[in-house]
Amino acid sequence: MENSIVKSKRTKEVDINKPKLTAKEFKRQWILVAISAVYVIYGIIFYYLPLAGWIIAFQNFVFAKGIGGSKWVGIDKFKFLFSDKTFLMVIRNTFVMGVLNLFFSTVVAIAFAILLNEVKNKYFKKSIQTISYMPHFLSWIIVVAIVHDALTSTGIINDILMRLGIFKQPYAFLGDPKLFWGIVTLSHLWKETGWNAIIYLAAITSIDPCLYESASIDGAGRFQKMRYVTLPGLRPTIMILLLMNMGNVLNAGFELQYLLGNGLVQNVSRTIDIYILDWALDARNMDYSLGTAAGIFKTVVSMTFIVVSNYIAKKKGDERLF
Amino acid sequence: MADIVSFEKIKHKKKMATEDLIFTILNTTFLVLFAVVTLYPVLNTLAYSFNEGNDAVRGGIYLLPRKWSLRSYHEILFERPGIRVGAKVTVARTILGTLTSLAANALLSFILSRKKFLFKSGMSLFWIITMYASGGMIPVLVLFRYLHLTSSFWVYIIPGMVSAFNVMVMRTYMAGIPDSLEEAAQLEGAGYMRVFLSIISPLCKPVYATIALFVAVYHWNSWFDAMLYNRFDPQYTTLQYELMKLLDSVSATTGTTSGAQMSQAAAANTITPITVRAAATIATMAPIIALYPFLQRYFVTGLTIGGVKE
Amino acid sequence: MKTKKIVSLILASMLAVSSFAACSTKPTDTQSSGGGEPAQTGDGKQIVDFTMFAAMAGKEKNEGNDIMELIAEKTGVRVKETWLTGQDAGEAIGSIIASGKLPDLIDGGDGSVTLYQNGLLVAWDDYLEKYPNLKEMYTDEEWDKFRMDDGHIYWANVFGNSYDHNTATGHNGEAFWIQVRVLEWANYPKIQTLDEYFKLLEDYAAANPELPDGTPVIPYTCLCEDWKYYCLENAPMFLDGYPNDGCVIVNIDNGMDNPKVVDYNTTDTAKMYFKKLNEEYAKGAIDPDFATQTYDEYIAKLSTGRVLGLCDQYWDFAYNIMGPFASPLEATDGTTFRLDEIGCDYVPLGLTAKAGMSQQWHSYDDELNQSSGCAVTTSCSDPDLAFAFLSALLDQDIHDLRFWGIEGVDYLVDDQGLYYRTEEMRENWKSDSYKAKHSCEYSYCPQWMGMSKDGINRMQPSEQPSEFYEGLSEPLKKCFSAYGAQTYSEFLGSEIVVNAPWYPLWSWSNNISSDTPGGIAWKRMGECKHLWLPTVVMSSDFESDWAAYQAAYAECDPQAFLDEAQQAVDERLATAKSYGWTAPV
Repeated sequence: MENSIVKSKRTKEVDINKPKLTAKEFKRQWILVAISAVYVIYGIIFYYLPLAGWIIAFQNFVFAKGIGGSKWVGIDKFKFLFSDKTFLMVIRNTFVMGVLNLFFSTVVAIAFAILLNEVKNKYFKKSIQTISYMPHFLSWIIVVAIVHDALTSTGIINDILMRLGIFKQPYAFLGDPKLFWGIVTLSHLWKETGWNAIIYLAAITSIDPCLYESASIDGAGRFQKMRYVTLPGLRPTIMILLLMNMGNVLNAGFELQYLLGNGLVQNVSRTIDIYILDWALDARNMDYSLGTAAGIFKTVVSMTFIVVSNYIAKKKGDERLF
Repeated sequence: MADIVSFEKIKHKKKMATEDLIFTILNTTFLVLFAVVTLYPVLNTLAYSFNEGNDAVRGGIYLLPRKWSLRSYHEILFERPGIRVGAKVTVARTILGTLTSLAANALLSFILSRKKFLFKSGMSLFWIITMYASGGMIPVLVLFRYLHLTSSFWVYIIPGMVSAFNVMVMRTYMAGIPDSLEEAAQLEGAGYMRVFLSIISPLCKPVYATIALFVAVYHWNSWFDAMLYNRFDPQYTTLQYELMKLLDSVSATTGTTSGAQMSQAAAANTITPITVRAAATIATMAPIIALYPFLQRYFVTGLTIGGVKE
Repeated sequence: MKTKKIVSLILASMLAVSSFAACSTKPTDTQSSGGGEPAQTGDGKQIVDFTMFAAMAGKEKNEGNDIMELIAEKTGVRVKETWLTGQDAGEAIGSIIASGKLPDLIDGGDGSVTLYQNGLLVAWDDYLEKYPNLKEMYTDEEWDKFRMDDGHIYWANVFGNSYDHNTATGHNGEAFWIQVRVLEWANYPKIQTLDEYFKLLEDYAAANPELPDGTPVIPYTCLCEDWKYYCLENAPMFLDGYPNDGCVIVNIDNGMDNPKVVDYNTTDTAKMYFKKLNEEYAKGAIDPDFATQTYDEYIAKLSTGRVLGLCDQYWDFAYNIMGPFASPLEATDGTTFRLDEIGCDYVPLGLTAKAGMSQQWHSYDDELNQSSGCAVTTSCSDPDLAFAFLSALLDQDIHDLRFWGIEGVDYLVDDQGLYYRTEEMRENWKSDSYKAKHSCEYSYCPQWMGMSKDGINRMQPSEQPSEFYEGLSEPLKKCFSAYGAQTYSEFLGSEIVVNAPWYPLWSWSNNISSDTPGGIAWKRMGECKHLWLPTVVMSSDFESDWAAYQAAYAECDPQAFLDEAQQAVDERLATAKSYGWTAPV
């Protein structure tokens, strides 16, 4: 019920507030426009100017010769990438791990934030929250060492399963390709849930307390309040973060997969970044052009995701990025 | 009749109370379990950091050190040549960088959250793109070189000042603040800047605290920029870069070097005890954890902010 | 109203202001080299500060390091070394080039060629004539191997180069290692084959399942992580009696001047070896985590002393376990013991496919790797001084300072002129913090191994026989004497051969890039073996998995790689012949 009210309100707002570019309006907003101009100049210098470097993806770039002197090779670098079936495999791996991570980290962080918000005792709440985000500061090297420790033949997981009689022999979790994506996702959750929840906790503070009061008067229980007040209140934040992170699914990572992977699981563990490091950025003959080509590919895919999901969000009348 | 209604009500209330109680118990148990699982790696690292180096290599340390030693902390805090310079630079960039970045992000978020702003979509898209499109390490380096940002402290402050991610988070929060407040102020003759400074900003404390935390953590942990832009300028080194130099032993990135060409001396040289790694981690975390309670009150207090009423 | 405007203007112009600030910061190019506090050498010259970057992991020295200052006084040069951090060599070199700020001296590692291609290195040729110390490092033939395609020399590899002759006491290469207590328990038998080796490990483990502190033993483990999977992968080459060419066997049955490249991945020996590992794995004699362990876990495992046997190169594991092996532990009965004192130290066994074959696990000669080395950059303000400095580093007195330290402080000299160290001095040089403030090896600058120019000592302490022997644990000494050996290399007993002109071929395969069919095949072969070798070892149906592996391997087109390897061998042979090399009779 609450949900539909919010939605209809928002659609109405959009209609009323649609700004028209008139001289009067421009004059009224001159300060906003002027400041924006400064930001645009800044953005062009620090973000858009370096994009000119994309041009080297179409060259065999050598420093000594510069962009002017390096040989143009057209789309050869892109052809190299797509001619290799291993590349398609690493795209799949990257994509799947990216999506799994995006989905679970969002859901779990929201759940955690809401559950924490339900805690009445201030000190308990504060302590849990402080503890929850600590692993964020551990490096992947340390986290992987702990994950490894837990999953080896003598590790705690095998130990428990064998004591419970579920397994007779220790199971090689880390050597099983079927389990790798799950282990990666869980490791992410373990390290980042508390940290990811910080934004949602901040967002919960912006929910109007009146809504809870009126919900109580209407006889709503805890779950109903969570469902009909807290969650809709978080909706704009959830949507914005989801939309932004849609663009990051191809940045599913390098370090964790690199450190956790091994020969047995290489067909599911290697990501685009690892592939590029292995095959393209050959240290003996550094191919900056190929690295740039891969970067362009990732950007194009990311932007497509963003634009499509933004369009969908717009259609549904949700919060959107632009 | 009346009796039955009130009886129903009481039953309902009772049911809710039990429901509540069960929920509280389950929730508390869950959160405690969650905290235990999350806390473990930190405590484990802490235990390693206080253990003697040679002993720790054998593994098998869980919650308590086996052989106590402060050696690792001594090594990272007192025996590194650049650590003092690095600490100064890091503190300076964390303070200056957080303040400038917060101001710059907040102002842009304010503009983008104005529903009547003429170029809202265009400006948003302009900044969204910066999140995903990057020219790569090399063009950026060349650009900074021409801007005289390399071999300079300002490379830590200026280029990363505006972050689209943070702006979007702030914008969403600001957009949730009822327009009526702004309209009322404007009727009284307040300009946009007045609205930003005295109406919106005070209501944005939770999100400002969040973003300040993000930015401060980013600055505190940064080392890659110190290496990339100030590699041969020890006066601009950062704390984390000094620690990274110490830690980066036989790590992932050196995989292409052929072992056979390593000299004996070099091979023996490059091993960093895991205890030092652990101590460096704890030393990195400690200040941030100390800072956190001050920011935390802005977003754990929860439903007490009064201003946001229609 | 006015104040509001002012505040807003201040905020708005914040960005602009800070970017002006950036522009007004003057570039500090003036002190790219020769900066720092001016200091004087003994004869009144000013000390010049150089920077050096080595694209390897390493430890920085403290400012005011004792020996660094002594060397600076003698040579007029002080070098601040910086190492690789969080990047690989290619990335680091690329970003250094792009940032436009190069160090004075550099070892580009795998990125060396990139530096050359960008014209950033100073040719050594003229300076070699001027500084005989440098020239002396290699023969003309060897120097020619460093020449790039423009005919000039841009770097010199500084490692494994012996003055006079190779005096290595250790065995730095690969072997099947075994703990001396296992040999002692079996009364020092002669172990020649895999069957004997694993039988002994199993028997010992059955009789002694635990260490004194209660840790259960692991008969055998093997590292497979990333490029260090050579521990699992290349034993068939050695087992067939060939030296460490690393990527292929070079068969010389038809004479040294008619070498033939052979793939060791498909030989009968390879199958026999992996079948053996498969059997042992099924019996539980091989560490169940061998295929997934990380290097850190591997070292942790070895450090507990519980691993009885392994296959690896010495440098990869030995230095990291010395500390833990020498620290006291508590046994279950409350007494204390040390792992090195109970015989957990490892000795190398030169196993072969069949008993009685000769083998070449140990290489007695230097191995020249021309693919990277110490170089002077075009940014160096005074290249001549840089070369003079590199040359001076090879003067015996400075060389002694670098590797032995200060006489009286770090080593003592007896009446015969022999250098020796006390236990305390040895311990000092094992401590990272002591080394950071005291010792200064300039470890990626030109240096010697082998005999000192005084004819008595060795260039580096690790090769000094007395030093070496003093450093051994009692069980190790006992074991050596039981087999009548003085050093690791004698213990291993490899055949003494003169290196072939193409040896070691890994200096070629390490530098193969993925531009050629052979290079692509090499990468694919590696990926295939990473997946399949652990699989066949753990397989419950060895024969069918082995067949599947061989099929997958054949798909990688190994022939393309072998052809290029053959070509590389032929080219190296031709070059040697042009210098008058003839096949030994």
